Amino acid sequence: MKFDNLDLYAALMHELKNNLGLLIMTLDTIPVQGHPDHDQPLDEARLLSQRSVERLQQALLIYKADSGELHPVVDAYAPVEMLRELRDTAQSLARDRLHVDTLVGDQVPTLWFFDRSLVEMALINAIHNSLAHSRSRLRIEADMVDGCLAYTVRDDSAGYPDHILAYGSGGSGHGSAGTGLGLRFARLIAEAHDNNGRHGELRLFNEEGAVFRFLLP
Amino acid sequence: MSLKAIKGDEHTINYGTLRALVVDDYPGMRSALKLTLSNFGISRIDLAGSAAEVIFKVGNNHYDLILCDFNLGEGRDGQQLLEELRHRGLIKLETVFVMVTAESVYEKVVATAELAPDDYMIKPFSAEVMRNRLETILMRKLAFAKVYQHFEAHELDLALLACDALIRDYPRYLVDALRFKGEVLNTMGRFDEAEALYRQVISLRAIPWARLGLAKALHHQKKDEEAEELLHDVMEKTPEMVSAYDLLAEVRLNQNDSAGAQEALLKGVSISAKTVRRQQKLGDIAHERGDLDIARNAYSAVLEKGQHSVFVSPADFGNLCRVQVDQGDVGAAMDTLKRNRSLLGSSPEGQLVSAVVQSLAHTKAGKPEEAKKALEEANRLRRGVQRIDERIMLDMAGAFMTHGQHAEADAIVSEVARNAHDSETLLAKARKLYEESGRGEAGNKVLSEATADVRKLNNDSVILAHKGDYKGASEKLLTACRVAPFNTRILMNTIWVLIKRLHSDGMDHELLDEAIRLLGEVEKQSPGHARLVDLKSKLRDVEHHFGIRRKAP
Ligand SMILES: Nc1ncnc2c1ncn2[C@@H]1O[C@H](COP(=O)(O)OP(=O)(O)OP(=O)(O)O)[C@@H](O)[C@H]1O
Ligand SMILES: [Mg+2]
Repeated sequence: MKFDNLDLYAALMHELKNNLGLLIMTLDTIPVQGHPDHDQPLDEARLLSQRSVERLQQALLIYKADSGELHPVVDAYAPVEMLRELRDTAQSLARDRLHVDTLVGDQVPTLWFFDRSLVEMALINAIHNSLAHSRSRLRIEADMVDGCLAYTVRDDSAGYPDHILAYGSGGSGHGSAGTGLGLRFARLIAEAHDNNGRHGELRLFNEEGAVFRFLLP
Repeated sequence: MSLKAIKGDEHTINYGTLRALVVDDYPGMRSALKLTLSNFGISRIDLAGSAAEVIFKVGNNHYDLILCDFNLGEGRDGQQLLEELRHRGLIKLETVFVMVTAESVYEKVVATAELAPDDYMIKPFSAEVMRNRLETILMRKLAFAKVYQHFEAHELDLALLACDALIRDYPRYLVDALRFKGEVLNTMGRFDEAEALYRQVISLRAIPWARLGLAKALHHQKKDEEAEELLHDVMEKTPEMVSAYDLLAEVRLNQNDSAGAQEALLKGVSISAKTVRRQQKLGDIAHERGDLDIARNAYSAVLEKGQHSVFVSPADFGNLCRVQVDQGDVGAAMDTLKRNRSLLGSSPEGQLVSAVVQSLAHTKAGKPEEAKKALEEANRLRRGVQRIDERIMLDMAGAFMTHGQHAEADAIVSEVARNAHDSETLLAKARKLYEESGRGEAGNKVLSEATADVRKLNNDSVILAHKGDYKGASEKLLTACRVAPFNTRILMNTIWVLIKRLHSDGMDHELLDEAIRLLGEVEKQSPGHARLVDLKSKLRDVEHHFGIRRKAP
């Protein structure tokens, strides 16, 4: 549990993550000027450091999961509030490159129980993926699916490649070439959530583009 | 499926009127956070770089919002700071306290803390996330305004009613209101109701804080086996929840399993070593068990981590030195005194502790003359100290016995015993001193005489109160208070009976003032005592009943 027991690599990753985090917050304080020469490199720098932090977070969490320490700390949260937060984050990352919209199902209850920080990390990764792959838009939804609260991120990209879909529909996944850390990590988080024996799920499929669906029991 | 756009997006909070405090030991982060807040329209923003600075600033200004980094470098962390601010009543419930963490493994402690911040955010976070979180918390504070108002005014029954209104009418705040209500029920000693409430929450979902609350309610109803079983499960599923280890230690002490209690606290400090009160408790238990190495480590940690903490007093130096002397490590004890000379020298209590330890150390080192000189010095200093730690008193008594001054020793032991007539541990310690000096018989006599008066007065008052004779009962207890002015149990019983008497016999301002004074005494002697909240609330009730208006005590 304590710092000394964490292995050196994990400690190093923490330090890198925290430094990068500080860098991001510093970049966020630079105002946009409306000049592409200024704003575009700034946006790229922001996005790149965000993705690097995310990578480190994922690696650390996978490390924790491997050592049996991934315990979601569940509390009550308002699904709509989290949706709003995701939307605002996506909008700020997309600036005017993509159109972002949000929808909420009328069956979604006022409160649901989950580990907000873990779930948010998984969803932000999906949003980053859509920002990287989609052509013009991305949509985030909250709805009830099969008795679970489902967050869905969909875009108009070319869709997930086949090997990812195979993994997404319950294929072996592990070890299959090209399966990124991000999706594996999202699945770990979903499955770590458990309500009376019912576990969370990650469902990946293609419609208009890629569809990332994250189910919380 | 039918999907709609999100409703209620308009920002309703007027940030211009808020005053904020940003706390981070890193200047770059402070200014980044300040800039973010000022972009929301908050113009009055103060900065602090350490816990000490926060305590100072909070004492002089009112803040609506405190944004605090968990890691504040050396000394206290953000969670300890929050506990201290709330414990000393330096911030009100209305004040928003948001913890910022880097979510390294051990900072998960924040997410599971018993005394939770209003929210916590994981670095790095964007301005958008921060704004959303603040919006949510500020709306919640508005919804809870009535609950907080009653709670701060010690009107606990009204606070409970206000919670019920939220539970009934605002699904968004259902769980928050249940959490608050459960805590109030537990502090009021209404453990069966708390138990039912937590079971209701758990039927929705096994949230860690609800399981902890349930374990607490069970423990106070003496259902310790069930509590222990539940706590084991909590620890397995939420190992970061340190307060579970503290509670487990209590549960085990209650079952006379001090080895188990020590083990639980050792696990607790391995997760979060900085909490002073956990280390104090561990030191006490280990010392009593004769586990001197563990006691020494724990007491050293208290002094190391607790610099400038309100939870640390000269008695803590006494605790460490006593163990060091017991271990025969006189040099280390003297060294502890030397290194803290200016701190100990700055208060009469510190000087006394220092003199007593020196006397013990000299005796151990075989220097009776110097030991005697230090003891005389201690005896002189003693008159200048209002309230002396009981263990230091017993140390003095033991020293007097060593030098054959039995009358002095007996007087001190008798004073300790009167003021702690129901503390088995202290009485046992005193008995041991007598046995070691070969006066076991005499000791039993001193102890039973000293406690007999207080015990009889207390028992008589219970019988009288039971018959409804609150006048008689309170007179007995007021006498007991004069004999044993530091016996918090007696003081609290007296307050309770005085309140009963006012209700039954009508208002008497002198008695009311006496109850208020005694309450102040208890607050001074055992700040944060579990029964205080309830007594304050009962005092409030009686005042309301007779239409008396007074500022909150
Ligand atoms: N929204 C999307 N549209 C199309 N393809 C996607 C999308 N999201 C992910 N992918 C594909 O799935 C792969 C795995 O994604 P994942 O997030 O798990 O991995 P990654 O290591 O983060 O990869 P990348 O850095 O490419 O996002 C990606 O490399 C990409 O080929
Ligand atoms: Mg990715």
